[in-house]
Amino acid sequence: MTTQLKLIPGHKKELQAPPVLQVSKLSKVFKTGDGPMTVLQDVHFQVAEGEFLCVLGPSGCGKTTLLNVLAGFEKPSAGKALLEETPIMESGPDRCVVFQEDTLFPWLTVKENIAFGVKGLSKKEKREKTNHFLDLVGLTPFGDYLPREISGGMKKRVSLARVLILQPRILLMDEPFGALDAQTREEMQDLLLSLWNQFHHTIVFITHDIDEAVALADRILVMQKDPGMIAKEIRVRLSRPRERTESSFQDYCKALYQALKKPQP
Amino acid sequence: MKATQNLDAQDGFAMTFNKPNGWMNSFIPWILPALFFMGWFLVSRFEIIPAYLMPSPRQVGEAGVMYAFGTPGEGPYAGRFWVDAWVSCGRVLAGFSLAALFGIPLGVLSGRVDAMQKTLSTSINALRAVPGICWLPLAMVWFGIGYKTTLFLVALAAFFPIYINTAVGARQVSPLLFQAGAMLGVRRMNAVFSILLPGAMPSILAGLRLGLGISWAYLVLGELTGVPNGLGAVIMDARMLGRIDIIIVGIVLIALLGRTSDLLLSGVFRLCFKSARRLA
Repeated sequence: MTTQLKLIPGHKKELQAPPVLQVSKLSKVFKTGDGPMTVLQDVHFQVAEGEFLCVLGPSGCGKTTLLNVLAGFEKPSAGKALLEETPIMESGPDRCVVFQEDTLFPWLTVKENIAFGVKGLSKKEKREKTNHFLDLVGLTPFGDYLPREISGGMKKRVSLARVLILQPRILLMDEPFGALDAQTREEMQDLLLSLWNQFHHTIVFITHDIDEAVALADRILVMQKDPGMIAKEIRVRLSRPRERTESSFQDYCKALYQALKKPQP
Repeated sequence: MKATQNLDAQDGFAMTFNKPNGWMNSFIPWILPALFFMGWFLVSRFEIIPAYLMPSPRQVGEAGVMYAFGTPGEGPYAGRFWVDAWVSCGRVLAGFSLAALFGIPLGVLSGRVDAMQKTLSTSINALRAVPGICWLPLAMVWFGIGYKTTLFLVALAAFFPIYINTAVGARQVSPLLFQAGAMLGVRRMNAVFSILLPGAMPSILAGLRLGLGISWAYLVLGELTGVPNGLGAVIMDARMLGRIDIIIVGIVLIALLGRTSDLLLSGVFRLCFKSARRLA
């Protein structure tokens, strides 16, 4: 397993490394029956190598549209998004997405789903790699199950494994744990953090859950809606692992709550 | 990373279905035929319906054995079954294949391409409303009596369920699966084979099975027009000669061949495609 850069994830990181992702003056306007609707306006930010960035905002603020642009599913109306200086034109395995919805292929087993995007390896290498990632997400006994035979939390693990196996430059996560129960959600967050500690992926994580953002992120972008733009940026200077009951954790939650309540211009 | 072995993973297990045991499973499908057979036996035993209208099971059985295993020349229908079945199966297979050859690609296209759907749907649905039997006089004028007419009728009738079910299946494959595929490096054209067709497989297979069933119906229609051989021809011929027993033998044999071909079709698909094995 190659690690891309020896950054210690944590509060000390002040991100001197060059940005992996650069988003500048990005706007997205949709044509509707009632005329143009601006979903994103002048969104501007960077993501550094190995950084865990959360984008927090209410429903309808354009979070998912932003992610769709970064993933290459949508083209921006203005401005640009660069992945390591190259404009993002279409979707590809260098920017993998974990969706909120279940997007596993129902006719493939867990193992086959994980191996789906792997190319250019011999059968044996592919099998070993798949088993390795199956183990990483703790699903070794379930490799031959079909998606309909496993629980929602396990499906998320498979979704995670099938993108991690491709070693993407950036991991895009669209409220991936939104549909899970609270306990499973926390387990998935812990799993994600421990994988991130291991591999130092660069992650853009979309969420509407304040707790989740504080628990995970190095930095949080708070979005407002109508039109969707970045209202505030908060760097989370908490050591890991983070304890939700600590007062400093709660302070961040309060600050974010305020920021969401009264978006600053 | 054993920290990830948690409640969720331990609790998740394959759904267990409440299956009746194997003995019951193989017994249940034969209850109805057995009841029917008993009813038939009683009806003929006590001559509730006269024998010239409803021959006894025994008489029909003997006619069937004669038809299948008799030496040609021994009786009017002796030993003809194999040739008739061979010819009829060939007609069904040819007509059905033709229907699938057009039905699946056109179905996929109208399921996924709006312009295609708009172009085709009105015409195809209008044609679909025409009962297949209406085509018979036209087909006989165009193609004459025999193979071509039968082929035309079978292909036309089987096309609609294949086309419509494939279109519905193709339309219902979630766009998110295509996004997921694109993000995992699947190119546009490859997505047809690696995502679209497997995702639509349950509907495609359902359409093919319906189409195959209808193929047998229209086979008989085509063969009733006076071709020398085939199961439909035998039934028609037996009607002329008042051989009710042979008519019933023909009906039973078509039922058996129809069911066998349906099982074969599903079996071959399950053997060849994961998606048919796991989804359908």
